[in-house]
Amino acid sequence: MTDGMMAIAILLPLLAGLVIFLVRDYYARNVVVVVTALTLIANSILFVVKGPFTYTPTGFNWGLVIEVLDYAILIFYLYLGFTLRNWLVLIFAVTQLIPLAYFEFVMKAHVEVAPAFVVDNLAIIMCLVISIVGSLICIYALRYMYDHEQHAHVEKSRQSRFLLWLVLFLGAMNGLVFANNLVWLYFFWEVTTMCSFMLISHDKTELAIKNAARALWMNSTGGTAFIIAIIYLYVTQGGASALSMQNIIGGTLQGSILLLPVALLCYTGCTKAAQMPFQSWLLGAMVAPTPVSALLHSSTMVKAGVYLVLRLAPAYAGTYVSTAVAIVGAFTFFGTSALAISQSTGKRVLAYSTIANLGLIIACAGINTPLSIAAAILLIIFHAISKGMLFLCAGTIEHLIWSRDIEDMEGLAAKAPLTTLITALGILSMFLPPFGMLLGKWIALEAAYRIPLAAVLFVLASTMTIVFWTKWLGRLLQVLPKLGWPFEKLSLSYSVPLWTLLVGIFVVGIGVAPIYQNFVASAAHNVISGTQIFASGWDNMSLSGTSVKGLLGYFPVWALYAVFAIAVLLPLIFVGLKPTQLRPVYMCGEQSGAMDADEYMAEADTKTKVILGGYYFQDSLGEKTLNPVVNTIAILLLVIMIGCGVILK
Amino acid sequence: MGLIHNSRIKSPWIMHFDNSSCNGCDIEVLACLTPLYDVERFGIVNMGNPKHADVLLITGPVNRRTARVLRNLYDQVPGPKMVIAVGTCASTGGVFHNCYNVLGGVDKVVPVDVYIPGCSVRPEAIIDGVVLALQKLASANL
Amino acid sequence: MMRQLILLIATIVVAPFIGGLLFGIDRRITARLQGRFGPPILQPFYDFLKLIGKERIAVSRLQFVWIYAYLVFMVGSLLCLVFQSDFLILVFLLGFAGVSLVLAGFSTKSPYSHFGANRELLQIMAYEPVLLLLAIGIYAQNGTFLISEIFNQSRPLIFSLWPLFIAVLYVLTIKMRKSPFDIATSHHAHQEIVKGVITEFSGPYYALYQLAEWYEIVLVLGIVALFWTNPLWVGILIALAAFLLELLIDNIAARMTAPWMVRLSWTVGLILGVLNIAYIYFTKGVS
Repeated sequence: MTDGMMAIAILLPLLAGLVIFLVRDYYARNVVVVVTALTLIANSILFVVKGPFTYTPTGFNWGLVIEVLDYAILIFYLYLGFTLRNWLVLIFAVTQLIPLAYFEFVMKAHVEVAPAFVVDNLAIIMCLVISIVGSLICIYALRYMYDHEQHAHVEKSRQSRFLLWLVLFLGAMNGLVFANNLVWLYFFWEVTTMCSFMLISHDKTELAIKNAARALWMNSTGGTAFIIAIIYLYVTQGGASALSMQNIIGGTLQGSILLLPVALLCYTGCTKAAQMPFQSWLLGAMVAPTPVSALLHSSTMVKAGVYLVLRLAPAYAGTYVSTAVAIVGAFTFFGTSALAISQSTGKRVLAYSTIANLGLIIACAGINTPLSIAAAILLIIFHAISKGMLFLCAGTIEHLIWSRDIEDMEGLAAKAPLTTLITALGILSMFLPPFGMLLGKWIALEAAYRIPLAAVLFVLASTMTIVFWTKWLGRLLQVLPKLGWPFEKLSLSYSVPLWTLLVGIFVVGIGVAPIYQNFVASAAHNVISGTQIFASGWDNMSLSGTSVKGLLGYFPVWALYAVFAIAVLLPLIFVGLKPTQLRPVYMCGEQSGAMDADEYMAEADTKTKVILGGYYFQDSLGEKTLNPVVNTIAILLLVIMIGCGVILK
Repeated sequence: MGLIHNSRIKSPWIMHFDNSSCNGCDIEVLACLTPLYDVERFGIVNMGNPKHADVLLITGPVNRRTARVLRNLYDQVPGPKMVIAVGTCASTGGVFHNCYNVLGGVDKVVPVDVYIPGCSVRPEAIIDGVVLALQKLASANL
Repeated sequence: MMRQLILLIATIVVAPFIGGLLFGIDRRITARLQGRFGPPILQPFYDFLKLIGKERIAVSRLQFVWIYAYLVFMVGSLLCLVFQSDFLILVFLLGFAGVSLVLAGFSTKSPYSHFGANRELLQIMAYEPVLLLLAIGIYAQNGTFLISEIFNQSRPLIFSLWPLFIAVLYVLTIKMRKSPFDIATSHHAHQEIVKGVITEFSGPYYALYQLAEWYEIVLVLGIVALFWTNPLWVGILIALAAFLLELLIDNIAARMTAPWMVRLSWTVGLILGVLNIAYIYFTKGVS
């Protein structure tokens, strides 16, 4: 049973990817992808039913396979560094390759760790998010890539190659969240980095390759830190037992020497989660086709980063590293929210908002109380659903108007009401009550008072979040005085993932209390219960304490949904307007002609179109002004974080 | 409807529109808002926006350029609405009546309820005109 | 349960009367400060009833959705206060109300309404952090966001949170749309953006907006009253004093620009809030 489940979770995507790559027929390929997606979803639900277990594969020398593939990936990086003439890629490939070779050949390290995989509640939640949201994105990609190539007039279809990496990614992510052996975790980590390179560079334009290379070297710095951490652990803690994640967080190792490698691993997590100053790789990744952005920035890749930091939480709890992690995350939340205001490209706003929310999650991990860990897990779930859907919406809109600019989306409600409705609900679900993201923020704010600086940064960032989302929503919903909506038909490959995710937002949101009590609380407990060093203090703040129960156990979340339904949905559905009740907008009486004209009479009675736009504050919040400042501060914070690991043992 | 009907009389919001007057009447309209006359005593507020207005106070003769604007503004006032032509020019075209660009009084473009003659009108006359308009509103069975 | 239902209905019914009356007093006092006689105290109610009876005209279907949402979320927010629920949820619902108003402004391609909506967004940016900091300040003091806990404490909040109280007075000025912060729309005669965000609301829609404003003023004055809850009448007196202070400020100040407002609110409001929280944190520690 467990053999099969693990094989489906990790190996099936690889196998399916290869089949997709070999089968060139559009329809056959679609069938394979859909079947794989459904199998993965069913399998992830099986994990929930089965509950936590540990697993070590037998009957084959998997360790050797992973070693060989590790080298293959790193040598591939070297090759990329040479062919792209990118010194940074080359350097960081070498800095990974040499320590790895030294570790295995000179030190002759023995890295058998039992169990190799630990499936606990946190991992199951991650697996659910990856399998469900990820699979839906793969289904979406089927039609999207077809349209994408039609529009770009591609000579030779490269869809199958694209789908190979997309599906393979899911397997790597599943492996990553289940792995207990750090060396294996490192391998899966590198697979996701490699897949992201292939996916970002997919369009083969100059910009795409440049941005993909940037993503590669930035993540490779993280990989380097990872391998150093592995060696350091192995040397100082004596042998392979130190390479077990459970031992690291379980407190069975020497706590004092543990901090440096843990801080290094947190750094690795920050690179993958694109925390400042590494945000540029994620922004650059926006050149890729939208399913890539959706997959990389909602449910996988970046979630791997926050997962690692979250997973390690008990190992650095109660130390200055923890405080530093919280500040790093909170500062990223603040900085990127400010930067997002200045962006006029839809996908860049989504990217900044993603980084901001990941910052919030990392900050929650750094605050390191059961409450904050629970908030982090809730945020991971809700963010994956909402942001995944928003990226898919952005892709759909792009294929409707062939533009990514928010200003071009003006009046989309009148052109594509269905897409706009879903997008609008998605945007609302990111920052307003009664939706899940806000509940997560609510708990996070409650937990954040332990570190007031983080709390203040949360407050400022939340405020700016309101500004950039509302601005975007305002552009979407701006309509001219006209009645009747056009009928909008979406391809099944678009509409199924979109509607499923939308339903998901509401189902998970309304059912947040039982989900929280049955899954999130136990997962949060899972994260911290392994801690022996600091457990005593946490009993006082245990999850059954008054605050959480008061908030989510007994707080009627459905009441908030009822208010939302009364306030927004009811009038939307039931309140109509007659044609005689329409009036043109006020333009000092100079509006011209028809009711729905957006023109006015300028001097000499010339019709002039009204052009409106949002505030972007390029001068004060633009990337040029803000980037040098926030990046410097962010680098300092990262140095402090690692420094805390070295000095304050 | 009694309450709403009474409230209408107690809360006339005006919008002041200047066609092509010599500004004499406009100054007098604004004088009504000063502490000396204080029309807010009667709930009269100058809105400057047809969508919020109940009463259109129009000064100056209608010319070819402003006719369209006046019509547009009139259409944007939600009913029930009153139109008051303030001053001789607004009522008939006044001294400008035979100018090449002037169409004449306001009633050439929109239906007028109350005419207030005078060049320029006194603030008391304007207040009186508004009260007359309100009486018309009160007697009308809207 | 019965008691709660009565309280619910009483709040929904009584609050607008208090709010409307406050607006009437506001107009009367403002007139007196300007040397005028002023309208009757009940004038806001006449205006409201008149607007209800006007022809229903609109510029888009979405407009009504958001004006109505503004009203409902404002009522929801007020109910949070009356039922002594979570202060943070109150702020979030108030935030949604603000966003709804902005979206109502954005829902039409009207230049003035659009301008007003953009400025309204800046207003949210100016006051939201102060309210959230107040929530954290309350948490620092009481160890919970629950308003009921504020009522349980015998020591009024104002003694420990007086810097935040000053910051909240700022919010009050912004929320009441008083000079120097009446940038998105104003109660007084027309300005450079006509009526700003509410330019396109007419007749019954404008009435709904006014109703929401009445709830809003009761809500924000209620938040001020939270600073002294034992006994509550002191808090109410403080709130009324704050109300009169706002009228005075309104009549002696000129309207300022939007960036100036944000800058001032983010510097003064935040410094006061952060210092306040830091002081409590270091003297009291984590509760």
